[in-house]
Amino acid sequence: MQIDDQLLTRLETLSMIRIDERKREEIIEELSEFLNFADNLKELDTSGVDDKFAMDDAPTSLREDIPSCNTEISESILKNAPQSDEDFFIVPKIIE
Amino acid sequence: MITLKEALELDSQALQELRNDLKKKIKANKELNAYVGLEEAGEGVPIAIKDNIQVKDWSVTCASNILQGYKAPYNATVIEKMHQAGLGAYGRTNMDEFAMGSTTESSCYGKTLNPCDYERVPGGSSGGSAAAVAGGIAIAALGSDTGGSIRQPAAYCGVVGMKPTYGRVSRYGLGAYASSLDQIGPITQNVEDAAILYDIISGSDPKDSTNAQRDDKVVPNLDPNRKLTIGIVPSYVEEASEDVKKAYGKTVEVLKKMGHTIKEVSLLDAKYDISAYYITATAEATTNLARYDGIRYGNRAPAQNIKELYINTRSEGFGDEVKRRILLGNFVLSSGYYDAYYVKAQKVRHLIKEEYEKVFSEVDLILSPVAPSVAPKFGELATPMQMYLSDMYTISVNLAGLPALSLPVARNDEGLPIGLQLIAKPYDEQTLFDGALGLEAAL
Repeated sequence: MQIDDQLLTRLETLSMIRIDERKREEIIEELSEFLNFADNLKELDTSGVDDKFAMDDAPTSLREDIPSCNTEISESILKNAPQSDEDFFIVPKIIE
Repeated sequence: MITLKEALELDSQALQELRNDLKKKIKANKELNAYVGLEEAGEGVPIAIKDNIQVKDWSVTCASNILQGYKAPYNATVIEKMHQAGLGAYGRTNMDEFAMGSTTESSCYGKTLNPCDYERVPGGSSGGSAAAVAGGIAIAALGSDTGGSIRQPAAYCGVVGMKPTYGRVSRYGLGAYASSLDQIGPITQNVEDAAILYDIISGSDPKDSTNAQRDDKVVPNLDPNRKLTIGIVPSYVEEASEDVKKAYGKTVEVLKKMGHTIKEVSLLDAKYDISAYYITATAEATTNLARYDGIRYGNRAPAQNIKELYINTRSEGFGDEVKRRILLGNFVLSSGYYDAYYVKAQKVRHLIKEEYEKVFSEVDLILSPVAPSVAPKFGELATPMQMYLSDMYTISVNLAGLPALSLPVARNDEGLPIGLQLIAKPYDEQTLFDGALGLEAAL
């Protein structure tokens, strides 16, 4: 599998990450190298194998439906956020 | 350095002296760069904490620029359990950024040095924790292991590192890298200390839905004299360096002399582990790291609009290896490639787990190398692919969720430590520690 510049651009959009012009070639090469290697999985016959994996097949344990809320946590996050005011995070204008 | 077992016997005055002494030693060994902060929380025996485990009000940063300014709003469950057991969190240890790496070189705080040889990597990602214990500037430490991040630095630095069964230790408060693979575990001076610290941090926790809710402990039943059947994997060892091969052969002889039964077993070619691991881990990392957007935590880059804010914050905040893995994760999850890569890797994970199940129907433990060589020199693993390949012995354990313990077994001609790992079946930490304790005494 070879990554090209167009595909890298798509991945940047999905990742919300911008790759510097001078690093593009290197990244393309590194990603392609790994994916070429990872194509070895095609050698394995996985027909009939479950396509979802869970470490334990036991169902997740249940608990009583008791509401709880530790406001100390949200207050601390808001206080230490880059920009916040009372109960809100401040962000640049979203609606034009 | 005093052991954890000994430290737990100290009275409060002796503990205070120990803490003062420890601080002096850490400051005197600053060039190791094992610690990135000297915060303290809780009383009791001081334990060094990897910089991705939440300790309330500490600046826990996963060694990333993107989390500068963040303050942990609560204690991880492992920290709560430590406090209840008379241990205190003491200092943040260096790591690869977001636990993605094998050398600590991707840390925003710079690399940690290997106390055995300053020109060599301490291993990663929990390199700071392993170097602190090996360098005599921590009694014990916590690390996290997603693909070998406890066991490999322990092997490179010559200390004990243990990865519990997936679900044994609560992940509540662990900065998530790959949620289906991550486990917190101990890095210690010896096997008994690892068992003590493992007992303290493991156990049920309603705050982690993937927690196994099991509370059985190993220390009360530790038995180094048990005779076990131990699987060896000759096809795996073939690919290791001469130093590691020699140490492996010698260890097998010791195990035989101890009265264990040795049995040859085979596992899936490690090249498939590497593919399945990096596809799974990067896919999960992409999802977990989506939360770092400059709005809620840590750093925010200047921007005119919201999209620019996301892109600028993430482009400036994440380092190269993290960016590479996010891009790769988005590739394997994206439409058109999802089935061929992500789904295929999940199917292969079943094969890897089944292979181990088959082996463990015949043996109690498996003896395997931890890394293909002793600690490489800085810069020796020049490309990401070389680094990924060096994980060949550790990652299948995470893919199958097994417990494993890395134990220093020998030194090469240059005096560099060589570690081997014992691997057990899920939830069989008792046999893992029994086997490791016996081997440690016999070496």
